[in-house]
Amino acid sequence: MLGQAFIVRAAILVALGALLEAALSPFLTLGWVGPKFLVLGVVVAVTNLRELQALLLGFFGGVLTDALSGGLFGVGALGGIVAAAVSVRAGAARVKGEARLVLAQAVAVAVYDLLSLFGLYLASREGPPLARYILGGVGPDVLLNAFLAYLVGGWLLKLVITKEEHWI
Amino acid sequence: MGRRKSNAVSGLAALIVLCVTSLILFTIYVKEDEQGPLHTIQLGASEVLRPVRGLFALAASPFQAASYRIEGVLDTSERKEFEEKAREYEEGAAEAARLRQENGRLRQLLEGEQASFKYAPLARIVAPVGGQLTERVVINVGTNQGVGPEQPVVVGNNILVGRTTDRVTPNTAEVMLITDRNFAAGVRLLPPQTPAEESGPGSATSRESTMAGESTRQESTAPRRSSPASLREDLASAGGSHGEGLLRTNWEGYLGVDYVDLNAGAEQGDFVVTSGRAGDRELLFPPGLLVGTVESVSSQDIDQYKKIVITPVLKPDDVQEVRVIVNW
Repeated sequence: MLGQAFIVRAAILVALGALLEAALSPFLTLGWVGPKFLVLGVVVAVTNLRELQALLLGFFGGVLTDALSGGLFGVGALGGIVAAAVSVRAGAARVKGEARLVLAQAVAVAVYDLLSLFGLYLASREGPPLARYILGGVGPDVLLNAFLAYLVGGWLLKLVITKEEHWI
Repeated sequence: MGRRKSNAVSGLAALIVLCVTSLILFTIYVKEDEQGPLHTIQLGASEVLRPVRGLFALAASPFQAASYRIEGVLDTSERKEFEEKAREYEEGAAEAARLRQENGRLRQLLEGEQASFKYAPLARIVAPVGGQLTERVVINVGTNQGVGPEQPVVVGNNILVGRTTDRVTPNTAEVMLITDRNFAAGVRLLPPQTPAEESGPGSATSRESTMAGESTRQESTAPRRSSPASLREDLASAGGSHGEGLLRTNWEGYLGVDYVDLNAGAEQGDFVVTSGRAGDRELLFPPGLLVGTVESVSSQDIDQYKKIVITPVLKPDDVQEVRVIVNW
């Protein structure tokens, strides 16, 4: 079974994703399109975790992002939960390797974007029309983040699931 | 088999519980006021994250400077537009001189308000704020410098670029730019010509003004510029306004003025300044803050209001340093 070190590494990765999402992502965002470091961190980190652990990690990563980024509280938390759930489901569907990461990242980002928009609507704030946002925002965002997952996802995964050396 | 089923059930239960928790957090956040616990957490986190954001801003600054240079080289259409405008001004030298004169008078009218403005120290934009659906930045002044929530943010003396939000910490403040879709301000459209000249060069008022000379004309307007109330009366009673409306950035991407009456005489080239009031109510902004000029005016028979597109004096994205008007 997975050791504590793995869980610690996963938690650090999610925390780092939340930090980058709050501090670096605004500099790289162009219009409605930008990297989703939190989603990437969660999708990679919850690999091989049990469902409950994965969901908790996604939730707390999302809460951290909400606190740091200054957005609508709860939207990031929901996004983190969805990212974790999608990643776990993709693992259960026996989609392996980078394909799993790319697929999970794409779905999670699409849901995250839509949650952000519905969050605005629910908070009675101005938001773009849904159809336009899906075409001009969600679509390109999914492509960008899937590409990001393809580029760095495998490397991050290796970093997290490095086998522990046992000293006897 | 039984264990796997138990895991699936506990996973589903956890998913539901955490989703509900998130929704509760969302509801609390939306319903609570600025001093609520979740807002306070965000304020604290923003203060903690300030050095990190500053670090990223420092790292990003060379890239931003390079992108501005590239934009300047590639964007020939804007250059051509300016050249064309310059030619037009050369062809009508007298017309341009008159417009400059009137422009000067209008600026003086606006600057008359500046005496009563109290500014916070010059602030630097530290970093953009996260979120694809917002246009906000963080500046490096806060409550320690007298900045509070919902105060106008300007460049120079009176060019409006945004307003502070309720996220103001001792050393930072979040600014909602005029390009943010949630930004709104009551504005008035002012013609570049005075009402006297609009009535024609041969009119009695115009002749009197000309005979009296420019210095006398300035003297006569000077006392009326002493207070915001007198400026409002001046603009309203002189019939100098080409209409009033609400400044907003449309989802189509242009900055426009909504709810301008179809009968209003808005024209291309009109100045767009904050009105400072709606009926008898004082608004968030003082009167006379310059936003831009009218780029186009259009309307169709079925429209209830005019469609007015404006060109901002400054692109908020290009602004580096700003000042917050803390009192007026």
